[in-house]
Amino acid sequence: MPLLVTASATPELANWSNLALYSAMAVYTIAMLLFASHLAALGPDTSADASADASAAGAGADRADSADRDGELVGAVAGSVAGSVAGRSVLDGSSPTSSVTATPTGSSSGFGDDGTGGSLRARKLGATGMSMTWLASILLLASVVLRGLSVARAPWGNMFEFATAGATVAAFAYLLLARRHRWEWLGIFVVGPILLTLGTALLAFYTEAAELMPALKSVWLVIHVTVAILAVGLFIVAFGLGVAYLLKVRRDAAEVGTRSRRLAFLDSLPSATRLERSAYGLNMVGFILWTFTLVAGAIWAQKAWGSYWTWDPKEVWTFVVWVVYAAYMHARATAGWEPRKAMWIAIAAFATVIVNFAVVNVFFVGQHSYSGL
Amino acid sequence: MSAGNSPQREAEIRQPQLGPLGWARWAWRNLTSMRTALFLLLLLSVAAVPGSIFPQRSIDAGRVADYLAANPTIGPWLNRFGFFEVYQSPWFSAVYLLLVISLIGCIIPRTKLHWHALRSRPPRAPRHLERLGTSATARYAGPPDAALAAAREALRRKRFRVFSHDDSSVSGEAGFLRETGNLLFHVAMCVVIVGVAVGHLFGWRGDVIVTEGETFASVFSQYDTFNTGVMVDPNALPPFTIRLDKLDVRFEREAGGAQFGAPRGFTAYTTTVERPGQSAQQHTISVNEPLTLGGADVYLLGNGYSPVVTVRDAAGKVIYQQATPFLAQDNLYKSVGAIKVPSAGPKQLGFSGFFLPTAEPTYVNGPESVFPDLDSPELALSVWEGNLFPGGRPQSVYTLNTAELTPVPRADGKPLAIRLKPGQSYELPGGRGSISFDSVARFAGFSVRTDPGKGLTLAAALATIAGLVASLLVRRRRVFVRVEPDPQAGSGATSTTLVTIGALAKSADPGLSAFVSDLAAQLATSPTPVASATRTERT
Repeated sequence: MPLLVTASATPELANWSNLALYSAMAVYTIAMLLFASHLAALGPDTSADASADASAAGAGADRADSADRDGELVGAVAGSVAGSVAGRSVLDGSSPTSSVTATPTGSSSGFGDDGTGGSLRARKLGATGMSMTWLASILLLASVVLRGLSVARAPWGNMFEFATAGATVAAFAYLLLARRHRWEWLGIFVVGPILLTLGTALLAFYTEAAELMPALKSVWLVIHVTVAILAVGLFIVAFGLGVAYLLKVRRDAAEVGTRSRRLAFLDSLPSATRLERSAYGLNMVGFILWTFTLVAGAIWAQKAWGSYWTWDPKEVWTFVVWVVYAAYMHARATAGWEPRKAMWIAIAAFATVIVNFAVVNVFFVGQHSYSGL
Repeated sequence: MSAGNSPQREAEIRQPQLGPLGWARWAWRNLTSMRTALFLLLLLSVAAVPGSIFPQRSIDAGRVADYLAANPTIGPWLNRFGFFEVYQSPWFSAVYLLLVISLIGCIIPRTKLHWHALRSRPPRAPRHLERLGTSATARYAGPPDAALAAAREALRRKRFRVFSHDDSSVSGEAGFLRETGNLLFHVAMCVVIVGVAVGHLFGWRGDVIVTEGETFASVFSQYDTFNTGVMVDPNALPPFTIRLDKLDVRFEREAGGAQFGAPRGFTAYTTTVERPGQSAQQHTISVNEPLTLGGADVYLLGNGYSPVVTVRDAAGKVIYQQATPFLAQDNLYKSVGAIKVPSAGPKQLGFSGFFLPTAEPTYVNGPESVFPDLDSPELALSVWEGNLFPGGRPQSVYTLNTAELTPVPRADGKPLAIRLKPGQSYELPGGRGSISFDSVARFAGFSVRTDPGKGLTLAAALATIAGLVASLLVRRRRVFVRVEPDPQAGSGATSTTLVTIGALAKSADPGLSAFVSDLAAQLATSPTPVASATRTERT
């Protein structure tokens, strides 16, 4: 690992890295404003109300339909359906309105394809927001790369570096998913947290570019922390989707007349079922990565500290995060639990991710004292 | 874990009386229900938190003592309820043991079911395949039995298990790996716990401080601290020896802020003998690079300074001369230690105080170090006399027990505080002799550990990941194909067959409709392919 061990910091590159970070934040701010206007433009549109009714009706039909399917499946699958996965999630039946023809990929976008993509103005705002987010994310990536070059190692050796790298992953995860699903509406739910993360990283966690402490000089830094960063990035996007889902469910349940006009953009979002499923998918991949983080961390701890598990505060919280996400996975697979309740567990799990990062590193005494503060 | 909740009975219905067996069954069923497992999981996460908030004895007993001293009211209560050893406490153990029981109670019946599912045939195709969630039709250019054979082959190639219940249909089933992975994950979780238990029963660890130039022999009595599992014989440790030739240390000098003075590199150069009689070998041990000796792993986990001090009596005879380890108290290596000279006369002499690798010269805030490396080393000591070992009880080597000691005053009666730089000596008042600070050596803190369970734990942990990936990403699917002579086809020479495909997924499966339309397209291979119509599943 000569790459990890050698060389001290090059301050010029670190300055360029910071400059790129500031620029990224400025552009993200613009993107956030654009996304906000995008949502606002989506909202009070008259066509939105119509689509709301349609989607509510669709949801109702979904429910009836899936109940029907359940019955049919019980017959078809004849008793061999064991355990948890039976019941709710067996088949979320096809809604009668959508029984049209071959989409070979099956991943049609949730909104936009049925013509309710909002006004031209809304679409323009959304598209510009996306472009700005691309620009900002490329700047952010440049900042991370420059930081890595300046310290001649993987740039996630302290909290500041971890936060910027995690935000970068979240940004690109969102951008790539948004390309596939037309998730312009999700922008504000992702860019907002990213801006918050970057701001906190700069104001509270900023650490001068420097060489690592000996315990961190290991290939496991690259393995363990990279996977942790990926996991957190996915959890962030899943959290954004989860919040959107919960808002949407609440709005769907409310009487049409009593719905807040401020949240009218929710009507243009994909159906609650779709949102929930996307959030679940991201959380699921995040959970697998987090499990890997936990195991890789234990292997590293065995090498660096002589014991794979010592209940160090960071280990405790990594475990807590894992257990709460595991609870979410179980809740979602349980027939008796509504997906809405399960989603609240996912939100709680995301809160533990935040605690694990922002509180444990700074306030608890332990071996993971790499905050650099 | 078994899902589902029995429908609630009406209050009017008389409940049957439950005998002991009935109650046991009721308890078992509740304990192994998914709802309980979920509750226990959430409870486990909450129960683990106090261990990160309160200091833990297993990690740092000193901080627990400090906490108890600082919180005389709430401290003893927290202690009583096990908040300082959360992970050994009855309540934490209760939660995870219940969870393990619940886990086993879910694994066993599910393994049975899965075993049967693995050996049973795919079910008969439903009559109306187009009513299934995802379906498609295609025209096959050929007679029905050829179409069926083609469908069977296509499904087999996609690793479906296929079976025909009649001449006009074929049923296929795939994705058993999902449940296999699920069971593997949960079984492996149990094995992880077994591996941890093996480590606790058969493992041991000993910590020792070795100063440059000294040799350490791995014998129970030579360790500074020693922890062992109940199944370990502490007199049968691997008999290796380690001589610390040199300890290389490097600290940050360039970066500013909190990074200044942060550790950058530790390397111990050692000469080791694995067992008596074998030849000596040179090895380096550094952080992240432990050394394996006689089945145990030797880790470099600490370092510090051992000032070499000589104490002479009034006649100039050396009564104490050795490198005395001082323990670092902060990141700048302000270190505390004690020099105990029991052979001094007429009273025993003790020195206690600080070693500062780079002393802040003014002592405005008392003795402080400003850099962890040896830029300007200094000893700051107070002098005591009396009985060093009251009652003969064991005591820390880094502090003096001052119960039966009195401070030695200066000639003018004020308390005596000695500051020494390397090479300097100090003549003690009242003919008590002298103390000189000769040089500074570094010490390494080695930790020697064995954990016979770690291999098992690692294998099980990797198995959990494999199981998790399979259980979350593999799709369980059933696909049915039914063939009938094409009603639209005339009685021409070429017979075509109408193929209907229906599919079911056990959980949300966005790729299913693509799978079905692919299959339809594949079967619609005729000289003039007939467009297949797919009904997609959408929500």
